[in-house]
Amino acid sequence: MNDATASAIILTLQVASLATLIVFIPSVVLGYYFSRSKTMTSRLVSTVVTLPLVLPPTAVGYLLLRFLAVDGPLGPEILGLRIDILLTWKAAVLAAAVMAMPLVARTARVAFDGVDGRLEMMNRTLGYGPYETFLCTSVPLASRGLFAAAILGFTRAVGEFGATVTVAGNIPFKTQTLASAIFSAQQTGQHHEAYVLIALSLALGFVAVYASELLANRPSLLHRT
Amino acid sequence: MIDASRLHVDIDLALDSFALKVDLQTHAQVTGVFGPSGCGKSSFVESVAGLRRQARGRIRLGESHWLDSDAGLFLPPEKRGVGYVPQSGLLFPHLSVGENLRSGFRRARDSGKDPAAICSNVVELLELHPLLDRAVSTLSGGERQRVALGRALCSAPRLLLLDEPLAALDQPLREKILPFLRRVRAEFDVPMILVSHDPIEIQALCDDVVVLREGAVIARGAPRDVLIDPSVFPIANERGFENVLPCTTIASDEWGTTVCLGSPPTELRLELINRSPGPSSASLVAIPARDVIIALERPPGISARNVLPAVIEEVHTVGNFVLVKAALSPQLPGVAVEVGRAACRELDLCRGRSVFLIVKAMSCRMFAEKA
Repeated sequence: MNDATASAIILTLQVASLATLIVFIPSVVLGYYFSRSKTMTSRLVSTVVTLPLVLPPTAVGYLLLRFLAVDGPLGPEILGLRIDILLTWKAAVLAAAVMAMPLVARTARVAFDGVDGRLEMMNRTLGYGPYETFLCTSVPLASRGLFAAAILGFTRAVGEFGATVTVAGNIPFKTQTLASAIFSAQQTGQHHEAYVLIALSLALGFVAVYASELLANRPSLLHRT
Repeated sequence: MIDASRLHVDIDLALDSFALKVDLQTHAQVTGVFGPSGCGKSSFVESVAGLRRQARGRIRLGESHWLDSDAGLFLPPEKRGVGYVPQSGLLFPHLSVGENLRSGFRRARDSGKDPAAICSNVVELLELHPLLDRAVSTLSGGERQRVALGRALCSAPRLLLLDEPLAALDQPLREKILPFLRRVRAEFDVPMILVSHDPIEIQALCDDVVVLREGAVIARGAPRDVLIDPSVFPIANERGFENVLPCTTIASDEWGTTVCLGSPPTELRLELINRSPGPSSASLVAIPARDVIIALERPPGISARNVLPAVIEEVHTVGNFVLVKAALSPQLPGVAVEVGRAACRELDLCRGRSVFLIVKAMSCRMFAEKA
């Protein structure tokens, strides 16, 4: 394994972890909102949040690029922000987060769908307000699904390529992640490096999916038996 | 009862096929809400608990206003201070039994009560000690309902709402849990609303009953009077109506038990074949309306062990039989008896007539009371 490969692996783990951390709490809140609210607004928000899942990742990347560009809507010319993150690891985190969020939010929504709303009502009658009830009843009861959501989000972030390459580029030691390193290795005929990267991806994916399978088979992480 | 427990509910709530419309003022310790399934009973207690945002009207307990839709007031459930015990118990599956009981401690503390003291009292009263460390998923149906009741009591509620707490249990188990509810009634000075479609529970626990049909109140009053009202009796008689009377054991041996009826005990004695839970313990006895025979004279040489003098108070034709209400003594609520229409005509049963009620010892059931 050469230094560039090692750097790509470490960067990927850092980017994916950070992206998961950033999107997890907002996605859990959104997932709860999508699960409990059946209004037109909630459906509309849900659709918008889900879009990155169905768009070509390069399209999402391109849109991000336009947003963050110097002459984009967030840039100094319009909103006066100096967001100088393009072609840095921060852009890779942003791309991974945007691409992982729909998966996390939708999985969280399914997790909350499985929580009996009457238990939340019961908690309310015992003197707890809606926010406390969310934290002390809904989240613990949905914990299994929420862990699965985090794992899926992490794996999505690890494998993210199209949007990342568009906004962060594919610069060895700087913004090259696992996915873009495999692409480079294939392009330059470095088969050995490609196999090493693929083996690592397999191991990572296997552990993640197996962990979520384990979670799915338990009644709940917090349920006592 | 003190004024702080006076409950005034005057609400309108649109349900799927009819509107619930109840205007109820009560200061009874236990107010029963009786009616067939789907009559709006549960929606009524859910509205009182604050779980039905759509309910319009007014709800007041003592001096606190919980709902006044004209004034735009809706007090959320967490501010009402109710203890809610639904049919399914709704225990928190991620907490142990002990943690479930403690989940309402904060509210109890905030209202100036000592939850630990209440809890130890509740644990003893409902015999929850062996369950405390258990997981909710390992509890039986009866245990669940006891824990749900205990959790509600530990939160020091101002009003206890029992929504068919025993309906999910089978008959023998129900009879085991009923004494616990009787104990709660005796030991806790908290007003309660009991929703039930079981006439035994209503008679054993309530002081005042409203009967709902399709969301409207069709009868209101003392439990026995209401249940044997001709318009209500068909509902109360679905599984065979039983008259529930308070009683005190005076003798018990392997042949059976002799009790005297009433509280305070009267001279009226009843023999039954259940074993009594203990000497001179107060309990309840159930006499099925269908199994009582009416005689105009005291019959000689009869196997039935109980021949009780009574005076007929009311006679109503209900469907294909006649419902007779007979008073055993002025202190006791009248006993309902079903007789055939032909028998009623032949004996000329009418108001004011002195008769004898013949009751087999085997027909009566005794409900054990926990000391």
